[in-house]
Amino acid sequence: MNKFIYIFCLLSASVFAQTQPGISPADLNGMRAVGSPADPKVKESWHRYHDHAQITDFCQRMAKAHPDLVKLESIGKSFQGRDMWVMTITDFKNGNAARKPGFYIDANIHGNEIQGTEIAMYTAWYLAENFQTMPFIAALLRDRVFYINPTINLDGRENFIHAPNNPSSSRSGMMPFDDDGDGAIDEDKLDDLDGDGNIVNMRRKSPLGRWKLDPDYPNRMIPARADETGEYELLGSEGLDNDGDGQVNEDSPGTYDPNRDWAWNWQPNYIQGGALFYPGTLPETRAIKNFVLAHPNIAGAQSYHNSGGMFLRGPGAAEDDPFYSPNDIAVYDVIGKIGEKIVPGYKYFIIHKDLYTVYGGEIDWFALTRGVFTFSNELMNSFKLFNQQPNTQNRSQNQEFEEFDKYLLFGDGYVQWKPFKHPQFGDIEVGGPKKNYIRNHPGFLLEEDAHRNMSFTLLHAYQMPKLEVFSIKKKPLGNNLTEITATVYNSRIMPTHSSHDLKYKIERPDYISLKNAAVVAGMVVLNEDFNLTKEQKFTPQTIEVPNIPGMGAVKVRWIVSGKVDKVTVEVDSRKGGVTSLTE
Amino acid sequence: MRFLALLFLFGCLGAVHAQKNYSTYAQLTTRLKDLANKNTSLASLNSAGKSVGGKDLWLLTLSKGDPKTKPALLLVAGLDGSHPAGSETLLLMAEKMLTNPSDKAQDALSKKTFYFLVCANPDAWDTDKSKFERSGNATPSDDDRDGRIDEDPFEDLNGDGLITQLRIEDPSGTYLPSKTDPRILVKADPSKNETGKYLLISEGTDNDHDDNWNEDAVGGVNINKNFTYNYPFFEKESGVFAASEPETKAVLDVLYRSNNIFAVIVLGPENNLSSASKFDVSKTTKRIVTGPLEKDAAVGEFVSKLYNTSTGLKNAPAMPLSKGGSLTQSAYYHAGRFGFSTPGWWPQLPPVDSSQKQKAPSVANLSGEEIFFKWADAEKIPVFVDWKEIKHPDFPGKKVEVGGLIPYARWNPPLTYLDDIALRHNRFLLDLTAAMPILDVVNVKVDNLQAGVNRITLQVINKGFLPTFADLGNRVKYVSKVRTTLNTTSTQAILSGKKLNLQPALGAGELVEYSWLISGAGKISVEVTCPTAGAKTLELTLN
Repeated sequence: MNKFIYIFCLLSASVFAQTQPGISPADLNGMRAVGSPADPKVKESWHRYHDHAQITDFCQRMAKAHPDLVKLESIGKSFQGRDMWVMTITDFKNGNAARKPGFYIDANIHGNEIQGTEIAMYTAWYLAENFQTMPFIAALLRDRVFYINPTINLDGRENFIHAPNNPSSSRSGMMPFDDDGDGAIDEDKLDDLDGDGNIVNMRRKSPLGRWKLDPDYPNRMIPARADETGEYELLGSEGLDNDGDGQVNEDSPGTYDPNRDWAWNWQPNYIQGGALFYPGTLPETRAIKNFVLAHPNIAGAQSYHNSGGMFLRGPGAAEDDPFYSPNDIAVYDVIGKIGEKIVPGYKYFIIHKDLYTVYGGEIDWFALTRGVFTFSNELMNSFKLFNQQPNTQNRSQNQEFEEFDKYLLFGDGYVQWKPFKHPQFGDIEVGGPKKNYIRNHPGFLLEEDAHRNMSFTLLHAYQMPKLEVFSIKKKPLGNNLTEITATVYNSRIMPTHSSHDLKYKIERPDYISLKNAAVVAGMVVLNEDFNLTKEQKFTPQTIEVPNIPGMGAVKVRWIVSGKVDKVTVEVDSRKGGVTSLTE
Repeated sequence: MRFLALLFLFGCLGAVHAQKNYSTYAQLTTRLKDLANKNTSLASLNSAGKSVGGKDLWLLTLSKGDPKTKPALLLVAGLDGSHPAGSETLLLMAEKMLTNPSDKAQDALSKKTFYFLVCANPDAWDTDKSKFERSGNATPSDDDRDGRIDEDPFEDLNGDGLITQLRIEDPSGTYLPSKTDPRILVKADPSKNETGKYLLISEGTDNDHDDNWNEDAVGGVNINKNFTYNYPFFEKESGVFAASEPETKAVLDVLYRSNNIFAVIVLGPENNLSSASKFDVSKTTKRIVTGPLEKDAAVGEFVSKLYNTSTGLKNAPAMPLSKGGSLTQSAYYHAGRFGFSTPGWWPQLPPVDSSQKQKAPSVANLSGEEIFFKWADAEKIPVFVDWKEIKHPDFPGKKVEVGGLIPYARWNPPLTYLDDIALRHNRFLLDLTAAMPILDVVNVKVDNLQAGVNRITLQVINKGFLPTFADLGNRVKYVSKVRTTLNTTSTQAILSGKKLNLQPALGAGELVEYSWLISGAGKISVEVTCPTAGAKTLELTLN
């Protein structure tokens, strides 16, 4: 009996696979792990980082393997001329992609914060590869469209990967600037003294220094006690005084911040470090702004950063707090709090309160200039190392990264100190964390955190408005007149317009139209029980409602003349999509 | 016959319309190209960028020699399209500057650079200027943010070719004819026992039946509301976000990429030249600065005095820099350069005849509009359409009259008035140029110590009447500081002192002293540069 069922299943599975070649078999050479595709069409490993050529190749393979699910376009060029790829992912055979509620994902605005790119790519891959087998994913792609922009700092990323760097360098883009005001441009960069591809730290043995070796982890430098003689001086990041001005590494390429180049409460460089000339000085941010303006269906957005383990919402500056109304905050709270469960160790935070003040940041542009509900996940934190909060968050006091390096990375995280003859400093040593450690995930943690953060973002996308015409009621009024009342319901927590959007009329109202009837008058029903209505004199067949609230409904009414047979009620919302019912 | 008479009347009116004789965009372009072609050694013409509608923003550079190496002024007009007089004035200024044979003008052209951006919003330019005032570019704009574009335009209800105003007699009206000049409608003041008589709206119908008249006519972004400082987000004509327009970016790219620009002078509907912005310490101590710093406010006073003396223009209406998103303020608060603005022209009343016994009201007590009508009457310039009753579909049974100010008339006089204005403003320009900072190296001392060691001591001084750059520029990374470099040869070594020295702004007469110890003999040079103030090189020989 059991055997029979087993054979039947096996048979049906293979028949299934044969008749529908688009579907990956449930099991292949053993047992599929639940939640992951067994035999993905696009082969990709998720424990490594990709450069521009590899990202381009991945995007092209995705579009080729899934022509009905993935379309690829370049939305502009980076400063150095690289294509900014956006994958549009939806069930193209079902509905008009441009009119579905849209979710925008980008990553890597800071060149060194690279793993968001892999998470964005993983998300694209996961959606497409599981479309045939997971009803939830199929429904998500039927109702929503994803715009996935894997990296928006293409030049900074390429430089981070291929040029010598430390975990924090190459944060900026690569537009050249005279940073020290000496009239020369980028004349004193970091220098990879030992040519190993990593920019590490320089130290010099000296009793005048205030640093010493950590007795537990001798690779690590810790401050000498207040009353104790030190052993070493720390001399900063690996480098030379290339221009002989008495400073080391003071003019590297790119010292601006692409995440201060956005047009909401933009402030100049002396108020907001990293700002350029005006919001949109960079071609990359301009391309994204144009893309978003051209896609007014975008209702939710995520921009992946590192690090710290946070789900950040705006505002970036305290004076913008009044623009976040309690209604809007309630939406963020639901998603943010579930997120703390989805990604253990990550916290739901507000940028200016829990991080620092950011003027002219991308999150504020999406949320406050365009009314898009937006999160920014700060990926990776020290909780992930041992799945527990370290005893202290103070990096100079906790040894988590050294311990993790010893027991789980087997020493791959650090460059061992070695001697070097420095032209300015004399006999020194260089050593410290490799550029791919500390801020970016170690390989075996990357796939797990990609999945968890994608799940958070899919929850966010799932909660974009989903509209349906809930009911159409017809009531004869005599005199050849009929009253038609339609109820339109939004079954998700996000409204079609944030309160901020409503206040400033960022997006047009939602249109609810009656088709196939001779409309005499139209109105919004404010209270059906007490028959409170507000007439709309202009275009009464298309009633404009300012908003359709989350988990809520609006009612509209028409008075029509003549014989009423089947009527169609159509809802047309920029961020809520298009839907209709004929009854 | 009556029709013909009417036609004749309107024809006449049209002919004397103040703006009819203004250049078209094509004519502006030709005039600019002619200037550049006829003065190849002094002038060059480039496009700073293109408008949304695809028109060039012409940047005319006047300079004898390499313009990049000399301190510069950037003059901009026409940001707000409803002020074509600014553009006409600025172009006249450029033309007159090139034909000015005076030593002062020649000196200015050889020592300084003048960037003229005559028409910064060309899309607004070629609209029919007699019809309605247009401030914005060709970006489609949904002024009332209802999702429909340009759905409630103006209508010329009385067929006179002009969009003026409607006044409707209505018990809910809040306007009354002014007691001093009935052409002016003023808000009734309940505290003076006044009740309103009229509703006042622009000429047209309520096409979309939303009880707002002409709230979404054609017209895009007013570039002077699209700059970054105090950007008026989600306001009419301000654009989708700060610096969203290509015109705005073009102007800012010129400003930021030309580190020699000392000050920006805007001809437009704001005025901090006739009277300067005042210093208010409370506006300067917060993280976001909203008032001029003390030293910069003093410079503002100085330049204002210069302006009033040089131009001889009086009775300027108060037009403080209060509007968000303007270039003048963004140039100062964000780019750290001095920012000045003036409309250039405003009505000048003839001097009061003191022989008259009857005392005329002092100009100081008249409102801007009253002065304007007095001026127009004296100069016999038609600026007003008399109220005339019409039938209006939106106000059945009510008395509705069409009339009021002719579009553009208020700030754009006939071209003949601008010639004199351009001359006066060129005087100011030359006086301002003469006051600009001049760097010099003084009190140079070389002390020969023992064993081939020399001590060089010198002072870098600003001999001009204005600082090397605005005090706020000290905070702005993209403003170049005063740089003093000691250029040694390979046989010389600096024993003490820095090779490269950066100094914050030097005020008028202010100096900074440097001293170096050098070992090694031979030629050595000291180079002082500050793009907004000039350069000076000193050659020395060490023994």
